[in-house]
Amino acid sequence: MFRRHRRLVTALTATLLATACTAGGGGSPADSGPKAEAPQTIEVWHGWSAPHEVKAFDDAVAGFRRLHPNITVKLVKGQDDTKILNAVRGGNPPDVVSSFSTNNVGQFCSSGALQDLTPFLQKDNVDLGIFPQAVQTYTQYKGARCTLPLLADDYALYTNKALMKGEQPPKTISELTALAKKLTVRNPDGSIKVAGFLPSDTYYEHVPEHIAPSFGVTWLNAQGRANFASDPGFTKYLRWQKSLLDWYGYDNVKKFVHSMGQEFEASNPFEKGKVAMAVDGEWRVKFLQQEAPKVQYATTPVPVNDDRQTTYGGGFVTGTVIGIPRGARHPQASWEFVKYMTTNTDALVTFANGLGNVPSTIPALSSPKLTLPPQFQTFLDVFKNPNSTTIPSTVNGGDFIVKFQSFVQDQWEPGKVSDLHQGLTKLDTQVDNALKLAGG
Amino acid sequence: MTGTTTLAARPPAVGSPPRATVRGPRGRRLLYWTATHAIAIAMAIMFLAPLVFMFLTAVMSANQTLTGALWPSSWHWENFGKALTTDDGVMLRWLLNTLVYAVLATVFMLISSVPVAYALARFRFRGRKTAFVLVITTMMLPPQVTIVPMYIVWARFHLTGTLWPLIIPMLFGDAFSIFLLRQFLVTIPREYADAARVDGCGEVRTMLRVILPMARPAIAAVALFQFFYAWNDYFGPLIYTKPQTWTLAVGLSTFRAAHHVEWNLTMAATLLTVLPVIIVFFLAQRVFIQGVTLTGVKG
Amino acid sequence: MAAVLTAGPATVVATRARRRHRIRVLAFMSPWLIGFSFFFAYPLAATVYFSFFRYNLFQLRPVGLTNYRFLFKDPYAWTAIKNTLWLVVVMVPSRVLFGLGLAQLLAKIKRGGNLLRAIFYLPFLIPPVAATVAFVFVVNPGTGPINGIAAKIGIHLPDWFNDPAWTKPGLTLLALWGIGDVMIILLAALLDVPKTLYEAAAIDGANAWQQFRRITLPTISPVLMFSVVTGVIQTLQYFTQAMVAANASQGNADQAGTTTAPGYPDGASLTFPQTLYNEGFQQFNMGYACVLALVLFAVAMVFTLILLRRFHAFGDDD
Repeated sequence: MFRRHRRLVTALTATLLATACTAGGGGSPADSGPKAEAPQTIEVWHGWSAPHEVKAFDDAVAGFRRLHPNITVKLVKGQDDTKILNAVRGGNPPDVVSSFSTNNVGQFCSSGALQDLTPFLQKDNVDLGIFPQAVQTYTQYKGARCTLPLLADDYALYTNKALMKGEQPPKTISELTALAKKLTVRNPDGSIKVAGFLPSDTYYEHVPEHIAPSFGVTWLNAQGRANFASDPGFTKYLRWQKSLLDWYGYDNVKKFVHSMGQEFEASNPFEKGKVAMAVDGEWRVKFLQQEAPKVQYATTPVPVNDDRQTTYGGGFVTGTVIGIPRGARHPQASWEFVKYMTTNTDALVTFANGLGNVPSTIPALSSPKLTLPPQFQTFLDVFKNPNSTTIPSTVNGGDFIVKFQSFVQDQWEPGKVSDLHQGLTKLDTQVDNALKLAGG
Repeated sequence: MTGTTTLAARPPAVGSPPRATVRGPRGRRLLYWTATHAIAIAMAIMFLAPLVFMFLTAVMSANQTLTGALWPSSWHWENFGKALTTDDGVMLRWLLNTLVYAVLATVFMLISSVPVAYALARFRFRGRKTAFVLVITTMMLPPQVTIVPMYIVWARFHLTGTLWPLIIPMLFGDAFSIFLLRQFLVTIPREYADAARVDGCGEVRTMLRVILPMARPAIAAVALFQFFYAWNDYFGPLIYTKPQTWTLAVGLSTFRAAHHVEWNLTMAATLLTVLPVIIVFFLAQRVFIQGVTLTGVKG
Repeated sequence: MAAVLTAGPATVVATRARRRHRIRVLAFMSPWLIGFSFFFAYPLAATVYFSFFRYNLFQLRPVGLTNYRFLFKDPYAWTAIKNTLWLVVVMVPSRVLFGLGLAQLLAKIKRGGNLLRAIFYLPFLIPPVAATVAFVFVVNPGTGPINGIAAKIGIHLPDWFNDPAWTKPGLTLLALWGIGDVMIILLAALLDVPKTLYEAAAIDGANAWQQFRRITLPTISPVLMFSVVTGVIQTLQYFTQAMVAANASQGNADQAGTTTAPGYPDGASLTFPQTLYNEGFQQFNMGYACVLALVLFAVAMVFTLILLRRFHAFGDDD
């Protein structure tokens, strides 16, 4: 009786294991699949969606199409990381994927969702030295290089000249705070008509990862664990952020944020002249050119906390990454595409010009063909600045950022946290628990 | 029904003399009638209001939708066309996917569930009660309970990203439909089937020729329920489909994010999703209401 | 399932006839037998199995009870349990009471009753995604028309789906709009109450409330019970409306590439099935998602058993 049961259990377990282990299919070495010269169609997923962005990518691909007439490239716009991961896990992925953020590179590489590109790089003798050091770092995870950089993004302070009323852009947090108050215009009922600088996490790009670096924060400690309670930078950032927020009044800020327009449309409040100073990505230069050509503005590095003035000039650096999913059907052609898009100077410059992004190779950065407005120079400088930082990769992607952001947005800003240190300690535990669950 | 008590069995209510001295019974009845109808009409207005607002918003200009206005200042009928053709007519693709899912799921469900319900209602065999209890159990348990291993299985067959993981299981009986059909089939007197058998009909022919025509209302109800279930399903397509295979439900949920402040287009798209449902409902109202009643009361 | 294959009571029946009967039963039942094994029994067993592993669809590692231990440390899961409990305690009774009220109203109305019944039933059929998107817009402060009307008559309505305190009441309101199913079932039950009982009571001088309390309620109580229990089971799976409401009201915050914490605003709309979805299909902690699935299974099973006691008479007639 017992024996029979045991056999049944063994059989069942075996079935389950067989199911479990074959999902997704095996990885493919650098020489599998149809040859790059064979006629074929590759599907490329990317995240851009605004018309000028979609066109810019298409223009950059034109050179590849001329070079490889046998490869038909099908571009699919508006994809995000969740959709990419779902497609890869479902065993039905596109041939090439690109992701807007580097947050999930750790997850992509450690899980094997994207293929290690090292064999391809070695086969074609690609010199990684053409990528700046920071960029080399954020495109790999613990030695597994599963992505390459496809243009980069960094952040700086945009100031609306008319609304600045002759003031110079701030360089320190205290200057920023004073100006924010001075430039704010209120309606008779106290609500905000023109905001000097909105410190809230809910204002588009004012998320902690873009602002907190000014306070010199270290996201994860040496052991790769959360650092929110032990790094005083976070506390300084939060206290500053909250005090300015309270000066506006939380409800006023909330009301303003809810009524402001769409970030990537002409209704954007900076473009509309409803905000005097805002931290934003370099792409805004292009958007302003397209959507609000009359707005006079300047760009300067993000102000730093008063105790860190020597680090002024740096900023938050990240970028779009591109890779080949596990299970892609045409890895050879996919690699040719990835290689061309990430290393070909002409392609990168065309793309950077069209998109208003920072080129991600050293030759392209110094290309004379870069034709962007003067305000763009700040972003090139920030990109090269040694004080610029990025965020670390983990096995569960940007989960620690998501949790911190939700803490700031839902607990801290509305004033639900009575003991900040205690709150941050609890947050650390939650982040670490989630990391451990995912095997980190 | 248990617990039925007649008042006659209880001591008559005391201490409540008829108060209808000031206003006669007729006046009170009139007042009561008026109150009931007033409440009913107010309720009906409230129930219809969101639909009306949806429609009015759908024909507004994009800017007007942000003002909280009630009445369109200009009528933009083209919004319906815009909603259908935006993003290269992606809504039409969602519609096609939804139809494929709903039609195939309904047909497959009928083919597989009718015989099972018939067996549960007509045949005597050991384990019948157990089987029926298990049918009810599977009907009641949340679909999320088994989703993880199912996803793994479908991923293994490379069928994630398609609608097949939602359609194929319908070939193997749907618990709710089996339950509902069985509830109806047991009410058909055995004599009909016996008579058919005397006439030399086999079991399959008895089912097809004699019993099923009598069960037409129940079959129509389960078919409609299945069709609507697929039409409305969000969880299943959310798990399994990719943008090319999205159904209306999943597509519509992304519509708002894709069109930001263009509430008029979002509402037009929403209304286009709702419209077929409203039409089918008014055509087949009786079937629906009988069907729902069957699920709850016949017990 | 061996029981199904064995024939009926052991009377003196010819073996051939018995075998034919057996084959016939098996043939008719086969779709369900296969369906039950492959789409229910197997995945349930597999859920238990995977709950002891860390599995992201690429790598499978045994981790013992780690996933179970994490359940007690997972803030999302506890938020979700609290929210789901809130919905069970508030939304379910509200729906049954409101459904009963509407059914009573319809039972009293003779002329135009069919039209009213159709109007009250209709919202139930509207696809949940569409109903939610529309509802979020209609009650949206600032842009929604309801808000405009309320402001005109001097009522300040809450910021429903952007305010953690009002999100679940907002969802309850949405659920009351889709009351159709409960209402129809209760209406049928009300109409089934024998008229003679009311006539007898009226002769005895019972007023409307007494009639309701002494006749209506006891007669329809099994149906009320059914509505409550199925309501609880439905609420345990409550997913679509919560998720769509969060997405639709969040609106301006989403951007490709960045993810936000589930259950906007501040976890107020996070239901239990949503954490399961989030862990299993966003984070791909599939082992842990299996633990959540088992919790859901256990709770749903309790209510299913309550319901089964009501149905137990069905299989008895042989």
